[in-house]
Amino acid sequence: MRKLVLLLATASSLCLSGGAFAAGTMNVALIGEVDTLDPMISTKAVVNMVTQHFYETLYALDESWEPQPLLAAGPPEYSNGDKTIRIPLRTGIKFHDGSDMTSADVVDSLNRWLEVSPRAKEFKPLVKTITADGDDAIVIELTDSYAPLLSLLSFPSAPPVVVPQEIISADQLTATVGTGPYTLAEYKPDQYMRATRFDGYQSPEGAPSFLAGERQQNLDEIRFIPVPDANTRMEGLASGQFDYADGIQIENYDRLLESDATEPVLMEDAFAPNFALNHKAGLMTNPDLRKAVQYALAPEDMLLAAVGNDVFFEADGALYPKGHVWHNEAGVEEYNVNDPARAKQHLDAGGYDGTPLRILTSHQYEFHFKMAEVAKFYLENAGFKVELVVVDWATLGEKRNDPKEWDIYITHSPFLPDPAINQLLSADSNIGWSDPEKDAALKELATETDLEARKEIFAHIQELYFRDVPYIKVGNISELRGSRKGVTGVPLGPWMVFWNAKLPD
Amino acid sequence: MVSYLRTRLLGMVLTVLIVLVFVFFIARLAPGDPAELLLGPDASAADAEALRERMGLNLPVPVQFLSFLGQLLRGDLGTSIFYRQPVLEVMAARAEPTILLTLMSLAIAVTIALPIGIYGAYRRGGAFDQGAVAVAMLAAALPNFWVGLLLQKYLGTDLGWFPVSGYGNPDASIWERVQHLVLPSIALGFAQSAIILRFSRASMLDVLGDDYIRTARSKGISERRVVLRHALRNALIPIVTVIGLSFALLISGAVITERVFNLPGVGSLIVGAVLRRDYPLIQAALIVVAALYILVNFLIDMIYLAIDPRVKY
Amino acid sequence: MSAVTASATHAGPLRVLLQNRVVTLSIVVLGIFAIAAIFAPYLTPYQPNGLSMRERLLPPSSEHWAGTDELGRDIFTRLIYAGRVSLAVGLGVAALASVFGVVLGILAGFFSRLDPAISRLLDAMMAFPDVLLAIALLAAFGGSLLNLIIALAIVFTPRIARVVRASSLVVRELTYVEAARALGVSTPRILFHHVFRNITSPIIVQATFIFAAAMLSEAGLSFLGIGIDPSMPTWGVMISAGRQYIDTAGWLILFPGLAITICVVALQLTGDGLRDALDPRIRKSI
Repeated sequence: MRKLVLLLATASSLCLSGGAFAAGTMNVALIGEVDTLDPMISTKAVVNMVTQHFYETLYALDESWEPQPLLAAGPPEYSNGDKTIRIPLRTGIKFHDGSDMTSADVVDSLNRWLEVSPRAKEFKPLVKTITADGDDAIVIELTDSYAPLLSLLSFPSAPPVVVPQEIISADQLTATVGTGPYTLAEYKPDQYMRATRFDGYQSPEGAPSFLAGERQQNLDEIRFIPVPDANTRMEGLASGQFDYADGIQIENYDRLLESDATEPVLMEDAFAPNFALNHKAGLMTNPDLRKAVQYALAPEDMLLAAVGNDVFFEADGALYPKGHVWHNEAGVEEYNVNDPARAKQHLDAGGYDGTPLRILTSHQYEFHFKMAEVAKFYLENAGFKVELVVVDWATLGEKRNDPKEWDIYITHSPFLPDPAINQLLSADSNIGWSDPEKDAALKELATETDLEARKEIFAHIQELYFRDVPYIKVGNISELRGSRKGVTGVPLGPWMVFWNAKLPD
Repeated sequence: MVSYLRTRLLGMVLTVLIVLVFVFFIARLAPGDPAELLLGPDASAADAEALRERMGLNLPVPVQFLSFLGQLLRGDLGTSIFYRQPVLEVMAARAEPTILLTLMSLAIAVTIALPIGIYGAYRRGGAFDQGAVAVAMLAAALPNFWVGLLLQKYLGTDLGWFPVSGYGNPDASIWERVQHLVLPSIALGFAQSAIILRFSRASMLDVLGDDYIRTARSKGISERRVVLRHALRNALIPIVTVIGLSFALLISGAVITERVFNLPGVGSLIVGAVLRRDYPLIQAALIVVAALYILVNFLIDMIYLAIDPRVKY
Repeated sequence: MSAVTASATHAGPLRVLLQNRVVTLSIVVLGIFAIAAIFAPYLTPYQPNGLSMRERLLPPSSEHWAGTDELGRDIFTRLIYAGRVSLAVGLGVAALASVFGVVLGILAGFFSRLDPAISRLLDAMMAFPDVLLAIALLAAFGGSLLNLIIALAIVFTPRIARVVRASSLVVRELTYVEAARALGVSTPRILFHHVFRNITSPIIVQATFIFAAAMLSEAGLSFLGIGIDPSMPTWGVMISAGRQYIDTAGWLILFPGLAITICVVALQLTGDGLRDALDPRIRKSI
């Protein structure tokens, strides 16, 4: 028996140290399964990250989150008081099936996106028509001007990708055929997805900048491997099984840094966790009790519990992080108060009768649950009775649509390129934050086109956000990824993309 | 004999029918919405409703049940909501790790437990026997995911003897895949060995007490021959049954072990399907597993009937 | 068939039970667990959910006997509070499965017209591996402490039901039961007086094993994230939550794992002992 174990052991170490794969093939460990290959319907980061290699949008974000043409031939041409938008299209673009991209494909794709995308909801009612203008342009007619249009067209979260008319169906897309630099070669659910270079690809021009600019297709093949367990991703990276790994636990930062084989990739202020308060029914319809929650919470401890290390988060209450074009400090003194006495005053003023406050959360996002546990502790400290309702994400998604089921639910979101597309601020979200002053300001934000004026409007909205507490942004969380040493060309951002990636020699 | 077979088969059919009804309604009772999972964290009620409609999840339950039965008769177990493939294909693609894991852990369990159990019975009450019984007791009491986590840490991460988790890269050879199964098989086989040890020990004790063994001994046949030729052969018959019965236990264990070791097998597929509310996949998986179990037990009864002259129906 | 009444006439099963030192030890261990669970608040100065982020992941020390977890909570405190839930689950499942099992078993054993249906139902339930059936039921009911107990009780019901059915079949044919029936004694009365009394021993033995099996299943389901609300600590939940710290703070999963193992071993030994003491027919061979 011992001999056998030794034999197996030797053999396994030989195989592990081998670790060499065909040049030009990159193995990427994802945090989970790619739930759907239809990017238009999903706001999940992992879906949008992978599908960007297959599908392209009209515009793409550059490093400063400015939209740059991708399938569009240039910037949009506005007329009729910004209500008519003409978008010129690049010509000679081929789909993976060899057919040409036409303006009709673009029109049908955009129309489907309006129907199915969670991101298009605010925009959809404004759209009168989308029509082809010859073979190389489309025209969007709006009922009113809409400032975030270009951000929305380029934001790669449930994005308006262009697909051939033939694969559009009411349900999900019937095939994976896009214009992107890589094609889907093989997909074994829960095991791997192989993306190979698309030979007929027509790259946009310009220096690569985040998602915009040239797409060089350096790699022959990219393999996306879902690895739900963070430890496994780390071990796989250390042993050379993966060249790139998403979602590495912060504790491993030093190990990645000190190893000869790996390096850490840190993305600061990657996303923000949010506690959404129910404005439609229950305890949180009482403004004093909302204030009590706001004052009771200890964001720093919540973030520490979520992240596990105090270097990789920022206890920042502003809706956009410092350095971001939309950042402002209006109203932030209401954040991180963490004062049980002040919370108690509001609890009394609100006539709190001991009804349990129901916090709905999912343990599928471990950090949501950790934050909930800490929040419970501090809320109870201030005098609330708290009930954690811990369910899986499928149940949470259903329950949060029923205002009777919850008082607070926990979610998270990347920083959106334009605050006007932030669903949580809108009156018809599942929070249901309705306030005449805010609604007017939000409308103004959507139609005003001057950036400075829009920033001021947003600062006003942020002030109202702190006053009324529709939701509580807990802070900014950084994300750690791991890379094999010497890998280049993977831009830093919420989505990892590999069309310009190069493996070390 | 024929009438026994007829009742047995009829019973099997009835059992399978109950399983079907049960499985269908279990899946329908479940709260949670598969549509929400596809849409992600930033979606609204209206989006979910629209997607549900498109996915055919809004039909009345009786209609869904009839179409479920109709499809079954045509050998069609449905299409996975999540994978968008026929469920049988999805399961077939995941069968290899589960089958290998089951076989390897069974092999480990039998290799360890059978000789120990038989030798223990032969030396009944001795230090070896008592030790073996104690270890079996412990093996049955250890939570198998906990054993798995400890194996991962000590034999995997610290000593680096075996891959810690996963099933290798897409182009991994069968040899590499088998290596990935070593730790999971030990974790699963260890718990399994407890039952096989206790059972083989009991079976051997039973046989050793039988008249013909005493007769054989009194005839002056060598002890070695008595134990190996006469006792062992007869003791093995009931052991075959328990190995068959342990199938259900192995599947239960595989569900958890595959999760611990991140193996893309049928067990983790089922857990994933539950978390994703993939009704057709949950149904199919339960039906296939239950049907296999019923079939395995039927076959064991038949084998028993064939090999054990004492059993008559 | 004198053996059926043996346990009633057998002199002092308790003494037989306690003569076995291993069994005595097991019962003492279980007693300690039970006392710790009942008197949890008096045994520790800490609150099970009293977190302190500045004291996270401390190794075992004189202040924190089993260290602290990722939120700075005292693990020893959580262990004894978690014991409350884990033991409650085991006890609840054993009790509920016994009730379900006795009802189904007596119905099947005593009323031959119901027997085929009930037996097929039990067969169908046994055709699902334990964990799988529990997962399916929990997926249907939704995860909560009560639902977990109900689901596991259903899973383990056939084990009791089969034993009870077999005993009932035997008792039904006994001459004095037939005589009682002939004398016009009502069926419920017969059931209670003759059947139920005679099957209590095998039920207690089975229930002890179910207690142990339920605790293991609960831990496994909690690990999968399908069982209990993880804000209510059980030993399984504690292992599950601590798994990501296995390299840096192994005590997070070490102690709850030991607690489960010790408890299950003690239960199994007690079950074995009970079987020997209550039912002298069975040799201690298995």
